Amino acid sequence: MLSSKEYEEIFPALKRKINGHKLIYLDNAATTLRPKEVMDAVNEYSLNHHANVHRSTHTLAAEATKYYEDARSKVANFINSETEEVIFTKGATESLNLVAYSIANSNILRSDDEILISTIEHHANFVPWQQIAKIFNLKIKYYPAKSGIFDLSDFLKHITNKTRLVSITALSNVTGQLIPVNTLIKQIRNIRQDVILVVDGAQAVPHLPIDVKKMDCDFIAFSGHKMLGPTGIGVLYGKKRYLNEMTPFLFGGEMIDKVSTDGTTFNVLPYKFEAGTPNVDGAVGLAKAIEILERIGMDNIQEHEKQLTSYALKKLKELDFLEIFGPQDETQQSIISFNMKGVHPHDVAHLLNDLTGIAIRSGHHCAQPLMKEFGTSATCRISFYVYNEEEDVDKLCEGLNKVWEWLK
Amino acid sequence: MVEIGLEELYSDIILDYAKNERYKKEIQDAKKAEGKNLSCGDEITLYLKVKDNIVKEITFTGHGCIISQASASMMCEYLEGKTVDEANKILQEIINMSQGKEFDKELVDGIEIFSDISKFPMRTKCFTLAWHTLDDALNGKNM
Repeated sequence: MLSSKEYEEIFPALKRKINGHKLIYLDNAATTLRPKEVMDAVNEYSLNHHANVHRSTHTLAAEATKYYEDARSKVANFINSETEEVIFTKGATESLNLVAYSIANSNILRSDDEILISTIEHHANFVPWQQIAKIFNLKIKYYPAKSGIFDLSDFLKHITNKTRLVSITALSNVTGQLIPVNTLIKQIRNIRQDVILVVDGAQAVPHLPIDVKKMDCDFIAFSGHKMLGPTGIGVLYGKKRYLNEMTPFLFGGEMIDKVSTDGTTFNVLPYKFEAGTPNVDGAVGLAKAIEILERIGMDNIQEHEKQLTSYALKKLKELDFLEIFGPQDETQQSIISFNMKGVHPHDVAHLLNDLTGIAIRSGHHCAQPLMKEFGTSATCRISFYVYNEEEDVDKLCEGLNKVWEWLK
Repeated sequence: MVEIGLEELYSDIILDYAKNERYKKEIQDAKKAEGKNLSCGDEITLYLKVKDNIVKEITFTGHGCIISQASASMMCEYLEGKTVDEANKILQEIINMSQGKEFDKELVDGIEIFSDISKFPMRTKCFTLAWHTLDDALNGKNM
């Protein structure tokens, strides 16, 4: 890993002062800071090569198309998929909505099939399934994670001979619990071959090596902005056998093949799912972000965050005025949720920011079913990325002590 | 400058009001209005009893941060005994204050302690939650 000085050069925001304090950014699960290199790549593309893709025959159009398709190849290589299995979307939320809607609309599921999701999911991997179950009259079942902690053997008990689709997060955006998706998928496939396995990789893909072939998921969704890229770009990986069978999600633009008053046919993969002019700037930025992550090394990132999370858990447990949620062991990575006894998370987050320059998240984190499991309406959440270090945790603890003295 | 604002925002008076349970209860036969800050998960239910055009009783239930709880508590205390017209005038001045606009200090007596709230844009909605809910209870609308 690089030194904090080196990271300051890569991420200009790290040099910022908040109320006279050096910024400590611990809200990476929401979005990560931007590397200058990513923005330079986007600018270079935008200023010198920008045109619409896949249409015109002029030079700029050819260059823009190359930038866009090179970005797709970069993503495919990053997750070890085929290039045409990478669909660019607006983000993980749109990716999950696309899968849910298109699967339901394609007669792949029958009316007595069951969709299984868990109560630890982000709303983006909860609500779309709930809604399509309602719209298409499908059955949905919820795995209730006791105390908000996912238990693999308990979860597997919910697989029945009617289960036809399972959608699960690979890393909880609230507790940081790493879900053993590789094992989970293997075990589900042992029980039933034909279960469609969808993974919400929004929090996992930025933090650990992901190989979709090894994982053997049917779909995985993730966002660019949680892994150093720009906002408004995301990815849906899907196995060709399903993507080919699925109906398009949105219509118009590059996804069209032939249109007449008799009807319309659609383009091949991956264009079939990319309606309208795509976010080329975003794709270029994401490709550059992946380059940076690969330079650091995904294994190194995971190891760094494991150590940092374990250090933070140890230090936070020493503060007796905190209640920490989640497993609180080595299965947690990069994210920790807690509450200060008797103090609302917004007050903690606001005071930490203004008194110490530490940026954390407070709220329900788009995971209201999980908040219910915890018996709270909101938590404080810290989340790490490559540029965080143990000193940040020490400063956080000092800051929390300060806030506690102020408000207890 | 911001730290001075922060001291005021978390002053003893505000902390006391946030802990004050006097107005935190349900009342029967009252008009009910519900308010929510969706992104925060904060919720409030306001109970309002008006007789002869006078706010006879006003209470709230729900949960939220210090700012939202103190604001609701102060609002209930301040509005009890006021006419509906006065309550509406106060409401308007409070909203002006929360937006950093000119406001009538006499009309928002005491609640002026929140006069710096507009300097904290992320907390303004915490402060105004109770007041928006009041608007719903008084006038059937959310501002």
